[in-house]
Amino acid sequence: MANATRILLSSEVRSPAREPALEPILKTENLWKIYRIGKMDVPALRGIDVEVFPGEFLSIMGPSGCGKSTLLHVIGGLAQATRGRVLLDGNDLTTMSDSARTLLRRHKVGFVFQRFNLLPTLDAYHNIALAQHIHGNGFDPHRFEAVANLLGLSQRLHHRPSELSGGEQQRVALARAIISEPKIVLADEPTGNLDTKSSESVLSLLRQLNKDLGQTIVMITHNPEAATYGNRVLHMRDGMVVNGASVH
Amino acid sequence: MIWYMITQNVLHRPVRTLITVIGVAVEVALVILVVGLTTGLLTESAKRTEGVGADMMIQPPSASIWAAFSGAPMPISIAGRLRTLDYVQAVAPVLVQFNSVNGLDLVYGIDPDSFRAVSGGFVFHSGRDLQGPDDILVDDVYARAKKIKAGDPLHILGHDFKVAGIVEHGKGARLFVQISGLQEMSGAIDKASIFYVKCDRSDHTPAVTDEIHGLLPGYEIRPLKDFINMMTSSNLPGLSAFINVMIGIAVAIGFLVIFLSMYTTIIERTREIGVLKSLGASKGYIVKIILSETTLLCLAGTVFGIGLSYLMKTVFTSLFPAMTISILWKWIVISGLIAIVGGLLGAAYPAWVASRKDPVEALAYE
Repeated sequence: MANATRILLSSEVRSPAREPALEPILKTENLWKIYRIGKMDVPALRGIDVEVFPGEFLSIMGPSGCGKSTLLHVIGGLAQATRGRVLLDGNDLTTMSDSARTLLRRHKVGFVFQRFNLLPTLDAYHNIALAQHIHGNGFDPHRFEAVANLLGLSQRLHHRPSELSGGEQQRVALARAIISEPKIVLADEPTGNLDTKSSESVLSLLRQLNKDLGQTIVMITHNPEAATYGNRVLHMRDGMVVNGASVH
Repeated sequence: MIWYMITQNVLHRPVRTLITVIGVAVEVALVILVVGLTTGLLTESAKRTEGVGADMMIQPPSASIWAAFSGAPMPISIAGRLRTLDYVQAVAPVLVQFNSVNGLDLVYGIDPDSFRAVSGGFVFHSGRDLQGPDDILVDDVYARAKKIKAGDPLHILGHDFKVAGIVEHGKGARLFVQISGLQEMSGAIDKASIFYVKCDRSDHTPAVTDEIHGLLPGYEIRPLKDFINMMTSSNLPGLSAFINVMIGIAVAIGFLVIFLSMYTTIIERTREIGVLKSLGASKGYIVKIILSETTLLCLAGTVFGIGLSYLMKTVFTSLFPAMTISILWKWIVISGLIAIVGGLLGAAYPAWVASRKDPVEALAYE
């Protein structure tokens, strides 16, 4: 990542891989998430307004505890917002039931996690195929082969996670996230557990997916260098976007 | 895909899998063996009663079909009256005693001549017929189990007998002594527990039955054709309840084993459940995984349990040759169904807990 050291501010938006459409694929309006801990209300998100357009690669930066992961969970439908709205591909997650959000995740969202979160009992092939199975459209061998080749996994498909390096595991997780052609990929510190070389590899792949396939990506990171791989960077602090978006 | 994932899960945790399968196998084997033992006891007893060769047996009013429970309340003189009836070829009075020394066995007190007339006589493996009050005949199964031979002493019913002969099994009891001697020993002078009646032709059995009803109103007259069908567990007081209790215990074992196993599993796999949820797996999908895994474990346990049952049967019958265990296909299927249904009930709560896990908390689980 030595050649990618400059931090991009949200005001310095690079041209996304494809021209953004008029309608954002993801939009939050005055988004709040408040956790109840004992008798205390602890706000994790405090009025977030964000728009992500199709084909964008948005990096979200901020210190630990600023609410980055909570934001990712809420916009990905894993957690319910306390107030405000989340519109994902025209669907308001804040009014949806748990089952409806599950369905939405299945068809429109791909997750990549810091700890890879592959199923340890399955080899790479089945970890990826599992997402297709849950998606429910059946196994698509052409799509599978294309994704495996793109991510350089063709020779590692029959290895279990314990037999793969961290970088390889994250590439499998990436393949799993995009195999069902989601509208948006949400990556939560995807390089947080990787060495520099593997991090570069994974980030390059994310950028390649964004540029070549037009995959919309929202990536959380606290690594300034990693953030430069995105088209745009948002900064968060104390549950608010402090740069590049309006703050309530 | 689900079955592949489940198989890998099961293989990934071999110790847990083995313990669970053994737990279910014990449940299945317990059901099969308890029913097999009782069925074997009933069937074998019925076959021996049928094997006497009579057309019917007569017992006192309200007597149990289990001869051992009936005592000896009938005067032996009834035999003479029965012999006068039309179509009656032979009548054999039998005094039944229950021996509980070194096992549980019926002892038939017989009059050798009349018993031979009804049964066609014993087939001797060795020795000779009863001649005195201290003689005893034992069948080959009993002789093999107790490792005795003709000429050996045998102490039962508080009396020292001498084994006069070893006879082929299947003639009512395993031990036979002279009726007069047994009457004296049991204080039942001139009494009998059962009269076996042989008709001149089998198709005269209904006519003879009607005659005896007239002669001995209220007495139990049981045709011995299809006697096996009458020997059910419901005819032995408490046996059905015993079987049900044993099945209940077996089901409880299976339920608890599966409950603990699956509950532990979902705690172990909390993060995996979170991953599945992040991929869009529904609650139903997660429940299906847990219950399918349970079904697989129960099926493996059932197969293992069936094998265990046959193994235990072999062990028991070689240790106790007089023991009969009837393993029935019907009960193999029932025990398998009991194991699966009990297992699914045991897995229901863990599956419900898994399906309701918060995905964010599950993904953060260490």
